[in-house]
Amino acid sequence: MSDTDIHSQREAPPGTAPAAARELRTEEMLVNMGPQHPSTHGVLRLMLRTDGELILEAIPHIGYLHRCAEKIGENVTPVQFVPMTDRLDYLTGMNNNHGFSLAVEKLCGLEVPERGHYIRVIMCELNRIASHLVSFGCYGMDIGAFTPFLYGFREREYILDLFEATCGARLTYNYLTIGGASLDLPEGFVERLAWFLDYFEPKIDEYNNLLSFNYIFIKRTANVGVISAADALAYGLTGPCLRGSGVKWDLRRCVPYEIYDRFEFDIPVGVPGGNAGIPPEVVVGDSWSRYYVRMLEMKQSVRILRQCLKQLAGGEFRAKVPRTLKLPAGEVYLEVEGVRGQLGFLVVGENKPIPRRVKIRGPSFCNLCIVPHVCRQVLLADVPAIVGSIDVVMGEVDR
Amino acid sequence: MSGEVLAFYLLAALAAGSALGCVIATNIVRMAMCLLGTLGAVALLYFLLSANFLAVIQLVVYAGGTLILIVFGIMVTSRTYGEKLKPRTSEALIGTIVVLALFAGLVAILLRAPWTPVAPTEPSNSVAQIGQELLGTYLVPFELASVLLLAVMIGAAYLAQPAKKE
Amino acid sequence: MGSILRKVALPIFLIGVAAIMGIAWAPALLCGTVDSMRDDLGTWYKWDLRGERPTLTVGNIRQYLEGSIEGQFAPAAHVRFGHSTAVAFAYVLWPLQFRITRDVLAVVGVVGFVSLFAMFAIWWERKVAARMQSRLGPMRVGGWHGWAQSLADGLKLLQKEDIFIEGADRPLFRMAAYVAFVPALGLFIALPFSAAWIARDLDVGLIFIFAMFGVGVLGVLIAGWASNNKWSMFGAMREACQMISYEIPLGFALLVPIMTVGTLRLTTIGDLQSGGFQTWLAFRNPFLLAAALLFFIAALASCKRAPFDLPEAESELVAGFHTEYSGFRWALFFFAEYAEMFAAGALAAILFFGAWHSPLPAAWGESWRHGPLWQQALHGVVFSGPLWLIGKGIFFVYVQMWLRWTLPRIRLDQVMYACVQVMLPLAMLVLLANTFWEWLVPSRSVLGMAANAVCTAVGAVAVLAIIGISIYGFVNRRRLVGTLVVKHLPGA
Repeated sequence: MSDTDIHSQREAPPGTAPAAARELRTEEMLVNMGPQHPSTHGVLRLMLRTDGELILEAIPHIGYLHRCAEKIGENVTPVQFVPMTDRLDYLTGMNNNHGFSLAVEKLCGLEVPERGHYIRVIMCELNRIASHLVSFGCYGMDIGAFTPFLYGFREREYILDLFEATCGARLTYNYLTIGGASLDLPEGFVERLAWFLDYFEPKIDEYNNLLSFNYIFIKRTANVGVISAADALAYGLTGPCLRGSGVKWDLRRCVPYEIYDRFEFDIPVGVPGGNAGIPPEVVVGDSWSRYYVRMLEMKQSVRILRQCLKQLAGGEFRAKVPRTLKLPAGEVYLEVEGVRGQLGFLVVGENKPIPRRVKIRGPSFCNLCIVPHVCRQVLLADVPAIVGSIDVVMGEVDR
Repeated sequence: MSGEVLAFYLLAALAAGSALGCVIATNIVRMAMCLLGTLGAVALLYFLLSANFLAVIQLVVYAGGTLILIVFGIMVTSRTYGEKLKPRTSEALIGTIVVLALFAGLVAILLRAPWTPVAPTEPSNSVAQIGQELLGTYLVPFELASVLLLAVMIGAAYLAQPAKKE
Repeated sequence: MGSILRKVALPIFLIGVAAIMGIAWAPALLCGTVDSMRDDLGTWYKWDLRGERPTLTVGNIRQYLEGSIEGQFAPAAHVRFGHSTAVAFAYVLWPLQFRITRDVLAVVGVVGFVSLFAMFAIWWERKVAARMQSRLGPMRVGGWHGWAQSLADGLKLLQKEDIFIEGADRPLFRMAAYVAFVPALGLFIALPFSAAWIARDLDVGLIFIFAMFGVGVLGVLIAGWASNNKWSMFGAMREACQMISYEIPLGFALLVPIMTVGTLRLTTIGDLQSGGFQTWLAFRNPFLLAAALLFFIAALASCKRAPFDLPEAESELVAGFHTEYSGFRWALFFFAEYAEMFAAGALAAILFFGAWHSPLPAAWGESWRHGPLWQQALHGVVFSGPLWLIGKGIFFVYVQMWLRWTLPRIRLDQVMYACVQVMLPLAMLVLLANTFWEWLVPSRSVLGMAANAVCTAVGAVAVLAIIGISIYGFVNRRRLVGTLVVKHLPGA
C-alpha cells in the first residue's frame, strides 16, 4: 500500500456499512492483509475495511501467482502438461496429475491397467493426507499455536520420503500420467507404507488431543465463520468446506471414478456440537467443523490405503500410450475429488496432439469466493481463522 | 552544591522543559510523550523528597494509567492524528493571558511563603500513615472524591452509549 | 583451532557461568565486609550518628586487615595480611562504603544481569521450543548445543541497518524502544535477589515494580503509533486494552499477600517466608494459592506472552507493534520482554513462593554455616538467596515458555471477557475471602494449620508434577524428522 494510503479514510458506500457502525460514526480504516502476510497462505491479498478490530468487509484480490497454466496447456501435449498440473495446487501434485490424466484418458478412450488404478489411488490418498497435514499445521499457526505445525510436517516428511522413493520428487511429482503411472512402485514400498499407516493412525488422535479439542482452539474456531449448507451450495463450495457445512457430498462416493467404488469408507461431515465427542460450542458449518472434517478424512484415507494394500494387483502399471497421442475431436469435462474440493479439467481436442483448449476448475478458487460473505462483522483475529479453515492454495486460485 | 540540590534542579528543569514541550508541540501524541517526561520528573522529585509512596502512585496512576488512557483515547477517537494542531490567534492570546496571570499568582505566593529547610529523613512507614490519614482524618473528602469519580464514570458511560433509535 | 574450541566449549561455558557468578558475588561479599568493619568501628568508638555507620578511612581498613583493630567482625588472627597487601586491599575496600559506589555497582549488576538473562532466555526458549517440536534448535554457534547463538544474534542485530520507514514519526519511533526498555530495566532496582542483594530497598518496592510494568506499556503504544503502519497500530491498541484491563486483577492479586503480611517492602515479605516450604505464602491458605494462580495469569498477560500475545500476534498482525523495527531497536523490545518475564517470575517467587529462601528451613543450615569448609560451601549453594531466587524465576519463565509453545492464542474479545468477567470478580472474591480468613482463622489454629498442610501438599505435588513432566518430556522426546529414507532406501 502506498504511503498516501496509510491514514486514508473511505466513506462507506451507502447501504454496506452496518447500522451500528454508522451511528457511532467511528473511523473506518482500509487495511491490506497480504499479499505478503504470514497467514494468507501465499500471496492472497485481502482488503479489509475495518472499524477498529471489527471487519466490515473483506475483499480478496487475487492474481499474484498467475502463471498462465491454462494457456500453456493449449501449447503443449497432454504428457508435457502433466508437470504443469503439479504446480497448480502444489501441495497436492498427485491429485492434480490424476485429474488431468483421467480427463485425457476419457477423451482418448484409454484403458488403465489394474495395477495402475491402485497406484493412482494410493498416491492420491497419500497426498490427501500430506496436504491435510499441512492444512492442520498451518491452521494451528493461524490460531497462534506453533507446535502442531511441526508435528504435521514431521509426519508429512514420511509421506514425502515415500514419494521421493517412488518418483524422485518431493513436491512436484509428475508421477501419475496419461495411461497410469510413469514408474512402478519401488522395492519395499508396500512394507514401508504399511509401517507408515500403523505409525500414523494413532498420531491423528495425538493431533486431536493437542489442537482439535484444546479449549482455546475450540473457543477461537467454533461458531466462527459459519457457512450454512444453502450458502455453501450457492457459492459452489466443494470438498471439506462443503462437507463441513453438513452436506454429504464426495465425488469418490457419489459419482465414483477410478476404482473408488471398490473401497469402504465414510464421508465425514460437520456435526452439530454435543454429538459424540463434538464440543458443545460447535455449529455445523463453522471453522472448527471444516477443520475437523479434514482430521476425519485423514482417518478415512488411511482406511482406503489399507484396503488398497490388501487388494494391490500385479501386472502392468501403465497402458500402452502412443508416442504422439492424438487427441480426437471432442470435449471432455471431468471432475475428481481433489484434496480441497472438486478439481475439474476441461480438455477439448481437435485431432491434433495439442489440445485446443484446457480449462481448470480449481476448488480453492471457488472456495475463496465465499470469503467476503463470511468475513463480515467478525473480528480481525477471526479472518485468519476463517481463511485458514477454508484452506486455499494460491497456486491453484491464480493458476 | 550537594547532589540533592543538583538533582533537584535537573529534575525541575526536566519537568518544566517537558511541560513547555507539551504546550508547544503541535502533534498530539508528542504532547502526550512530553507529559510523560513531566510526570516522570515530578515522580522523581517526590522520590527526592522521600515521599516514596506518592512517587510510586504518581507513576502508577498518571504515567501508567491516565497517560496510557489519553494516548489510547487519541488513537481510538482522533480524526486528527496526522494533522498538526495550530491554535488560532485569539486562542493563543487568551491562553497567554491566563497563563501569565496564573504565573504571577504563583510567583506572588512563592515569594511570600516562609521556607524552612527540613533535614532529609528516611521515609518511615509512610504507606501506613497515609492509610490512617485517608481513612481516619480525611475520610469525608476521600469518600466525596470517590462519589465524584463514580459520577464521572456514569456520565462517561452515558455519553459513550450509541444514540437510541426512535 | 575451531575443532579444539568446540571440544572445550562446554568447559568454557561452565567456567564462564562460574566466573559470572563469582563476579556478581565478589562485590556483595566485599560490601558486607566493609559494613561489618563499620559496625565494629561504631562500637569501638561508641559512635552513634543518628544510627548511621561511621565512615572508614583507608587507614582504618588497613589496621583491620593487619589485625591491629579487633572487633566482632574483624578477620580472625590467622588471616592477617602483610602491610603492602593490606594497603592494596584497603584502597579496594574503601570506596565500597559509599552509597554512590554501591549504586554504580548495582546499576552495572542490573544491566549485566538483564542482558545476560535475556540472552540466556532467548537461547533457552529456542531449545525448549525445539524439544517440544521434535527439533534440535540452535546447535552450531559455540559448540555445545549452540550456547553462543544469542551472542551471535546480538552481534548480527547490532550491525543491522536501523530502518525508519517513510512517514514514521522519527523522534517517537526512536524513543519508543527506550520507553519500553527503561522501565523493564528500572524495575530491577527494587527487585531483591536476596535480603542483601538489592539495589534500593524501597519501602514501596512492590508498587514501584507494578508501576514500572505499567509505564513499559507506553513504549509499545508509542512504537505502534509512530511506525505509521496499521498493523503496528492494531498491536499498540491491543496492548493498551490488554494492559489496562489486566493491571486491575494483577493489582488485586498483589493485594492478597500484602494484606497478609502488612507491608510493601519486598525484603520484609521475603524474610517472613524463611521457615521452609510450608511457610511460603502461597501455601498459607487456599485463597493465597488462588491469588498466586491469578497473579501468574495476569502477569502472563502483562508480559504479552502466549496465550495473551495479541500485541505481536504474527498470524494476525504480521509482527504487531514491532513490525517496522529492525536491528538493535528491535532487540531492545525483546530484552524488555524477557526482563519483564523474569521480573514477573521473580515477583511471583518473592510474593508467594518463598522469595530467595530454599524450601528447607533456614535453621537447618545453621550448623553448616559454622562447620568445616565443605559444609560452608554446601550451605552457600543450598541456602544461597540469589541462586534460589534466580532459579525460581527461571522456573516460572520456563512455565511461561511451556504455555507459549502449547496453547493457541486467545481472541481480543475473549481476553477482555476473561479479564472483566472472570479474573476480576475472582480476584475480588479471593481478596475478600482472604480478608475474612486472616481475620477469623489464626494461623496456629487447627483450621489454619490444616489449610496450610493441604495447600503445601497441593503445591508440592504441582511443582513436582511440572518438573517431573518436563524431565519426562525432555528424556522421551519424539524422534527427529525424516529418518525413514535413510534407513529403508536400498543402498543406504
